Amino acid sequence: MDEEPERTKRWEGGYERTWEVLKEDESGSLKATVEEILFQSKRKRVTESHGQVRLGMMRHLHLVVDCSRSMEDQDLKPNRLTASLKLIETFVEEYFDQNPISQLGIITTKNKRAEKLTDLAGNPKKHIVALKKAVDTVCLGEPSLYNSLHLAIQTLKHMPGHTSREILVILSSLTTCDPANICELIKTLKSLKVRVSVIGLSAEVRVCTVLTRETGGSYHVILDESHFKELLMLHVKPPPASSSSECSLIRMGFPQHIIASLTDQEANAAISTSGADLSLGGYFCPQCHAKYTELPVECKVCGLTLVSAPHLARSFHHLFPLQAFTESPTEQLQKDRFCQACQGELKDKSIFSCPSCCSVFCVECDLFIHDSLHCCPCCIHNQTASY
Amino acid sequence: MLNIEGLLVHFPYDYIYPEQYSYMLELKRTLDAKGHGVLEMPSGTGKTISLLSLIVAYQKVFPLEVSKLIYCSRTVPEIEKVVEELRKLMEYYSKQTGESNNFLALALSSRKNLCIHPEVSSLRVGKEVDGKCHTLTASYIRAQRHSDPDLPVCRFYEDFDAVGRQMPLPAGVYNLDDLKDFGKRNGWCPYYLARYSLMHANIVVYSYHYLLDPKIADLVSKELTKKSVVVFDEAHNIDNVCIDSMSVNISRRTLDRCQTNVETLQNTIQKIKETDATKLKMEYRRLVEGLKEANVARETDVYLSNPVLPDEILQEAVPGTIRTAEHFVGFLKRFLEYLKSRLRVHHVVQESTPQFLKDIFDKVCIDRKPLRFCAERLRSLLRTLEIADIADFSAVTLISNFATLVSTYSQGFTIIIEPFEDRTPTIANPVLHFSCMDPSIAIKPVFQRFQSVIITSGTLSPLDIYPRILDFRPVTMASFTMTLARTCLCPLIVGRGNDQVALSSKFETREDFAVIRNYGSLLQEMSAIVPDGIVAFFTSYMYMENIVAAWYEQGILENIQRNKLIFIETPDAAETSMALEKYQEACENGRGAILLSVARGKVSEGIDFVHHFGRAVIMFGVPYVYTQSRILKARLEYLRDQFQIRENDFLTFDAMRHAAQCVGRVIRGKTDYGLMIFADKRYARADKRGKLPRWIQEHISDGSLNLTVDEAVQLSKHFLRQMAQPFRQEDQLGLSLLTLEQLESEEMLKKISQIAHQT
Repeated sequence: MDEEPERTKRWEGGYERTWEVLKEDESGSLKATVEEILFQSKRKRVTESHGQVRLGMMRHLHLVVDCSRSMEDQDLKPNRLTASLKLIETFVEEYFDQNPISQLGIITTKNKRAEKLTDLAGNPKKHIVALKKAVDTVCLGEPSLYNSLHLAIQTLKHMPGHTSREILVILSSLTTCDPANICELIKTLKSLKVRVSVIGLSAEVRVCTVLTRETGGSYHVILDESHFKELLMLHVKPPPASSSSECSLIRMGFPQHIIASLTDQEANAAISTSGADLSLGGYFCPQCHAKYTELPVECKVCGLTLVSAPHLARSFHHLFPLQAFTESPTEQLQKDRFCQACQGELKDKSIFSCPSCCSVFCVECDLFIHDSLHCCPCCIHNQTASY
Repeated sequence: MLNIEGLLVHFPYDYIYPEQYSYMLELKRTLDAKGHGVLEMPSGTGKTISLLSLIVAYQKVFPLEVSKLIYCSRTVPEIEKVVEELRKLMEYYSKQTGESNNFLALALSSRKNLCIHPEVSSLRVGKEVDGKCHTLTASYIRAQRHSDPDLPVCRFYEDFDAVGRQMPLPAGVYNLDDLKDFGKRNGWCPYYLARYSLMHANIVVYSYHYLLDPKIADLVSKELTKKSVVVFDEAHNIDNVCIDSMSVNISRRTLDRCQTNVETLQNTIQKIKETDATKLKMEYRRLVEGLKEANVARETDVYLSNPVLPDEILQEAVPGTIRTAEHFVGFLKRFLEYLKSRLRVHHVVQESTPQFLKDIFDKVCIDRKPLRFCAERLRSLLRTLEIADIADFSAVTLISNFATLVSTYSQGFTIIIEPFEDRTPTIANPVLHFSCMDPSIAIKPVFQRFQSVIITSGTLSPLDIYPRILDFRPVTMASFTMTLARTCLCPLIVGRGNDQVALSSKFETREDFAVIRNYGSLLQEMSAIVPDGIVAFFTSYMYMENIVAAWYEQGILENIQRNKLIFIETPDAAETSMALEKYQEACENGRGAILLSVARGKVSEGIDFVHHFGRAVIMFGVPYVYTQSRILKARLEYLRDQFQIRENDFLTFDAMRHAAQCVGRVIRGKTDYGLMIFADKRYARADKRGKLPRWIQEHISDGSLNLTVDEAVQLSKHFLRQMAQPFRQEDQLGLSLLTLEQLESEEMLKKISQIAHQT
């Protein structure tokens, strides 16, 4: 829908459209387009993620957002900063939705410095408020990769060993202004088992390639806004835990939400341990009875991780993912060429079928089922029908 | 194991590029025809391994047809790279066939790189090492040692001389370091061992000069067998190498040093006369006999002929006027005085060799004939006088070579005497340029002697000009394109600034403020969107200085420096290598850098900018050679008269090959990618564009011919994003990377036949 108004104003979009014309010119038989390659990798992502791997479900993620001068570039609308912050907002929501027992912190970097926007915390609201505020920041100077990574390490290194420590850098600039040799820092990151991933907004920078390769993260460069979103969402899924990370049983508390009525004699309005809000009800730590208004949280008093059962259930699908659908060429299909999910005609050259119920889907639905639904609609339908 | 028109070739990799197959096909046809070939294939597509594996296979199957491969490369690192590829191939061979290999392959370089004598090898400069080695190993020095055992000795050479000659080097692949190791283990001199083993080695890898420079070729390569295949790699500049090897420059300093040389000669002769007069008499008798020995050798076709030693003089005796040592020294003195008087001019003189000879006859009565024998006579004298340190006599050797050349060739050379340099007309610095204009003179013996000569490089376009200027007839001329799974190079021709000012480095607009500013904004915009390294080439140092100064004043440099650091190539080699090092560091750690350098400079020729070291190259202007140079003018005139090549054609050819060389620096393989920006509107013209190598040309679409800076920036941004997407080997398979099965499919073979473009 964004495309429509742009297409009408050709004089404005003129520069950006030239490449489209170019691409049509060189559709020689030898050259597979980059889109083809991308499509393959999209598929691969779905198939790859299915294996019996241990996942780092408790994540501590530091998000580093570049706020340097190059964020004012208008190749994302209205500019890179606004577009990125908007996407990051959805990312934050999605992140906490899928990783309820994880934490997130945001760091911004500009003018050769790095600053903490929010501390590591498990509350999406706080981050989103901060992000909304950040839209008005002035972008200036160069970013410093070194400083921001350094700042992130300061908190990450104190996190317990069984959690996955991650940094995700959104880098727009092609240069970084560092006070010291970044190679040393990469070694430190590696030894601390911090996984650094980078999403580049303009082009491939060598130091990021090295950084991500060494620390085991991923490095992607966006093509456009929708690709950007896709890449961000890749990081919603918990990464496989490194085999060397400690594993231990963790004590967790499942506090019940208690709403005390005013008539109750024992009940006193109390200030929540983590915030300044005064309320009657809340969650009480089963160990020390500290009061919290929101979950999940780590108890400030006794250090117990407090979650609610639905939270844990939500991260369940990561552990038992839906099987990958089998890919086959469209010509082989005997039946009607319609996707079982969207009912659209199957036009692409390959189709995807669920191995257990043999229903046929198109690429888009395949991706949707695996990324969002986490269960095959036809299988569920059959199950309910049989009851 | 590939089947190339019936020849089974072992190829040491699992996958092969289609163009490699095609290249081998053409190469095989050339060898079959026993002719010469010109082949152009882009760098980074495995030219070296294709060449090696095909020729080795050919040698194995037809040992009588091709008995030796002589691989000439330009620099020591390149030589070493070739040998390492060869080692891989040989290991693969022995693994496949299961039997030990009886192939001997070795690299040869100068004494500087091979010497293991503790004192001699500690010297840094090549000339010093050669000189010092000579004082230890010359035959008469060693003869003297019999009477006087206290003289210093190189035990490595002595051991080699005593034992090494009887024991041939065992089969295997020897790189420079392997030779040194082998030498150390056995106590033999690696340099002489390598030179001696050259004769029976199956594969020799060495520098151009060992074949093309007549002075060195005579020592090293003259006994190589006729049934050899000679390969000149990176041969796009071969004509200049040929010309340089035959040209002589004489300055006043050369003459002064020559003067002292002649005096030393005279004193030595005097001394010898008092002690050992028979020696000189012996020499005299030998000279009367003439150079019969050399003549016989040449007739029986044992030696590679030497262009400095023309055929005719071999049949004659050394003329009487210079036969005795004193007379010859007197002759040299006269010649020297004449040259000195010629250097005392105040205006530029240009004359042909016959004019020069007539003048010298008129002024000091020197005939043409004795002049021709000068080089040979001097060599004989130095031998007789038993002078150890030949390096000291380089000046007089130079003069005598000049004398021989000037009297031998009436065509193809010109003499230019300039009293001062063009840039500094007030400082007197007279130089006599004896300049060769015909590269075919130096390379002629190579083409005549060897059965197949292959000239190959990444940038040889337009192919047809090389046979013309080198004067030979190739049986194959082919240019290969690069098959790509993704378009990893993006040539853009930027012809206009954002304000529509035409961008050009041509002489009239050189000082134009608007052009300089637009060039600046091009670099500035690019510095903001291209990651890591950018290399920018200017047409000359002068032009670069002017532009950079103007940019500084306009504050453009400051803006650029916000995005990337700036490094500049200077004529000083040490400074440049320092700048290069820092440049690479800045690319490595994410700061990003720009290297400003000059076409035809060191950076444009020998340095590769793989991957992040060069994501974009910007060519500011068309790198025409400095056309006001008199030497160039003379050469152009000669080309027009002799080969019917128009001045303009040659100049454009020369400029475009250098431009191609510069921009080709960024693509060093199929996984690499880079922008190539030609910032001059003249590149859009068909006559310029058509002279670029085909593998670049085919990616220039009509849409990228006359871009403004902004358009170029948009295209580049898109290109860089596309290229940053993950790219794995599987994506290449079947398209630009083939397994054996894929290669043998009918369809693929048809495609491959289109890769080679015959001319």
